[in-house]
Amino acid sequence: MTSAPPRPTLIPVSLTVNGLPVDAAVPGRLLLADFLRDSLGLTGTHVGCGHGTCGSCTVLVDGEAVRSCLQFAVQLDGCAITTVEGVSPDGQLTPVQQAFQDNHGMQCGYCTPGLVCSLTALLAKDPSPTEETIVDTLNGHLCRCTGYQNILKAARQAAGRPVEEAHG
Amino acid sequence: MTVPEPTAGPTAARPKYVGGAVKRREDPRLLLGRGRYVADINLAGTVYMAIVRSPHAHARITSIDTSRAVAAAGVLAVLTWADIKDEAGPLPCIDRYTDSLPVLQTALADGVVRYVGEPVVALVASTEYGAEDALSLIDVEYEPLPVVVDLDEATAGTTLLYPEHGTNVMTTIAQDVGDVAAAFAAADRVYEETFTIHRYVPMPMETRGVVAEVDPITERLTLTTSTQFPHLVRGFLSGVLGMPESRIRVVAPDVGGGFGAKCEFYCEEVLAPLFALRLRRPVKWIEDRRTSMVASSHAREQKHTVRVAVQDDGTITAVDAQSWTSNGAAYCTLATTPASISSAMLRGPYRIPHYRARAHCVVTNKTPLAVYRGAGHPQAVLVMERMVDTIAADLGRDRVELRLQNMLTPAELPSDRGTAIVLAGQVVYDTGDYGACLERAAEMIGLSGDWEAEQAAARAEGRYLGIGLASLVEETSIGPYESAVVRVDGAGKVTVLTGSSPHGQGHVTTFSQLVADELEIDIEDITVLYGDTDVVADGVGTFASRSAAIGGAAARKAAGVVKEKALGVAAHVLEIDVADLEWRNGAAHVRGVPARARTLGELASAATAWNAPLPGGMEFNLEATYQHQAGGIAFSHATHAAKVGVDVETGEVTVLDYVVVHDCGTVINPTIVEGQVHGGVAQGLGGTFMEELAYSPDGQPLPMTLQDYIMPTLGDMPWIRTDHMESPTPLNPYGMKGAGEGGATGAPGALVNALQDALAPFGVNLTSDGPWTPDKVLALIPEDPA
Repeated sequence: MTSAPPRPTLIPVSLTVNGLPVDAAVPGRLLLADFLRDSLGLTGTHVGCGHGTCGSCTVLVDGEAVRSCLQFAVQLDGCAITTVEGVSPDGQLTPVQQAFQDNHGMQCGYCTPGLVCSLTALLAKDPSPTEETIVDTLNGHLCRCTGYQNILKAARQAAGRPVEEAHG
Repeated sequence: MTVPEPTAGPTAARPKYVGGAVKRREDPRLLLGRGRYVADINLAGTVYMAIVRSPHAHARITSIDTSRAVAAAGVLAVLTWADIKDEAGPLPCIDRYTDSLPVLQTALADGVVRYVGEPVVALVASTEYGAEDALSLIDVEYEPLPVVVDLDEATAGTTLLYPEHGTNVMTTIAQDVGDVAAAFAAADRVYEETFTIHRYVPMPMETRGVVAEVDPITERLTLTTSTQFPHLVRGFLSGVLGMPESRIRVVAPDVGGGFGAKCEFYCEEVLAPLFALRLRRPVKWIEDRRTSMVASSHAREQKHTVRVAVQDDGTITAVDAQSWTSNGAAYCTLATTPASISSAMLRGPYRIPHYRARAHCVVTNKTPLAVYRGAGHPQAVLVMERMVDTIAADLGRDRVELRLQNMLTPAELPSDRGTAIVLAGQVVYDTGDYGACLERAAEMIGLSGDWEAEQAAARAEGRYLGIGLASLVEETSIGPYESAVVRVDGAGKVTVLTGSSPHGQGHVTTFSQLVADELEIDIEDITVLYGDTDVVADGVGTFASRSAAIGGAAARKAAGVVKEKALGVAAHVLEIDVADLEWRNGAAHVRGVPARARTLGELASAATAWNAPLPGGMEFNLEATYQHQAGGIAFSHATHAAKVGVDVETGEVTVLDYVVVHDCGTVINPTIVEGQVHGGVAQGLGGTFMEELAYSPDGQPLPMTLQDYIMPTLGDMPWIRTDHMESPTPLNPYGMKGAGEGGATGAPGALVNALQDALAPFGVNLTSDGPWTPDKVLALIPEDPA
């Protein structure tokens, strides 16, 4: 004889996601990544490891690159979130996204949205980052397909730097 | 040899797509976050599966009590082996030798668990978090059994995983070529060495996942799964459940990398369907990363002993090899392939007329081992290339020169090597210039007269530099076949169906290039479909560097048949002999009368049922199905050259330069090929310097997150320089060979040889692929390096 599932305590949260207001009541333990993906249907944010290592789930929170697998949805009350779906509001590739296609900076595409979000955050703050800054940013992401060389090229192109040169 | 140019009409000026760096057509939707991976699929009414896994490496299950879970709110169903044993047969192994012992996996443990992570109980709950919570309500008691994780101990057989068989050696594969005994008797020198290759894993960024549902309209089972071979999964599931294939649809949506880990059929692909059939609700399971450490296939781990017979002039006359593969607790879908490939391909590009190998597949209390990018090649390349360097050093010979002396020349090809690879067939090297490839790589890395002076000068300053080479020949493009359908609609737009389902390889782009060239149309006019057994009726899959060569050939052949049909329709419509027509720029033209032409779209319209009736015997619709049969293995080849620097104070190794000169036959898209090379090298580098799925002596896997299973990031990678050679294979009309695995195949050998070269002054002899983490490197270096 089973009883009804226990009802988790729901906590109200109000935030902005990709420019639209979102008001929801969520369990305290609901991860931001799951909230975005399962509650809002924004499945472009991918979970690769669930413990903050791989960077696939990176989204922008008030313009900062944040790993959505390490945040609870309730922590985001009052915040403005941009996911990969919102990076390009008009559905056209942004210069960052275009750079990935131009330089074959992706293969299976699973880690790519996180990289797009990280580079978008970087270039919004610093349109002309140094090579070192670019490498530091990319070092926070795991990609298992590309060997990173073409991701670096894409990042360089987006940052207006020479694309084809060995890194030291 | 020359490659046929089937499309070039006498006046054709249209640029070809094949060979061009065409940007990937699949990228925009993935960049915009519009991909659709298994985890992204949320069907109405979905319930969630979770699995209780063994915490023991080897134990007898003494009791399972599911009552607390069954009674719990939100838990909808619980299954143990007792519940499913009458409806779920053992999981298949498709590369068993006839004398292999039957040690197959079951969907849930049958009384005994043999590795940490083995599925014991499965349950379904109404929410994903609730399913995880309910795992703690399952009570399983175990009686631990003796554990064997060491390959030598397992081979000795003191502790048995399957006592009924009396041995842990499941299979011994034999390769016998020439007269090894006589060659050793006549040898001037014999070199003997033992190599160990550690366990590391594919680790795609997307973990595995499944959604199973009974289709409400057809009442057929639909399994959506992150797999490299949906059509084979359909067959495997049919076999395990005893359900006709016609009642099963398998879908591979976007797949976030595979590398071999998704070239397997797993218990979750059986359990989710069993729940879906019972509950009549969609059942979803997404592997978390921690689970993937033990629940997705492992790879690589082998031990090799080799004896090499050499004449004083440097001629290598014979190799006598034995290997042992740590296969883990049971056969995988592809269990013997790594051992088979290692034993069949050990000699690489070298002549070595006499060869004997015995490759043993040994069960151990670890996660089952299967294929990973290159399967058994990287291990074989490491062993052979280390031996060649050892022999060169001992004979005082230049290592490039010694390699060239022993390499097969183009004039000696094709060459029947006398060995065979399970499922793939006889090893007959087809085309290539191994020596030219080696010389080019040696030149690019700077292995010229100045190198030794540079190395000596650096050493004098306390900087230890080394260059390593690895030349390889690899099996690619295995059969038996791949299928394709090409059809044209009335607007002249073309749909290509391929049975080869991608997971990052860019099939949409390369298959479009091939078909666009064949029909002489714009690439944008082509749609490529794959990954759904209801859309593409027949297929094999993406593994063994086969898709572009075998699947691509099938697609282009099908397009060729469509073109012939279109010419036939044009002859009818224009009332002219087909011999007076030529195909150019996507249209049938009357020779000598350029204005008289019919486009592909016009011809497709003309061939429909509601337009002009066609003469008797002519088929309606411009559509063709083609099955391209491989007819043999195409062998790609490469030389990798690595330059490393070792910090003898910290043991840190930096890869300073990396060159790959490779030959995968006709290149469809050089950018995509380079991307494959880069990614493969990164995985080989990771395996050589960082990654290890180590076990404790009692069988506990040590890394459980990506914070302790360390994979390369950008900062670990050298800038990889590539050069292409093109020796088309005669095995398909377009000359393509496979390109997917060579990067991972060559990197460990080149990197370990480079490290050996750097540390040679310390008298080291590297006989493993590490991983050469700083602590292990430091242990090789004396306290006072000076």
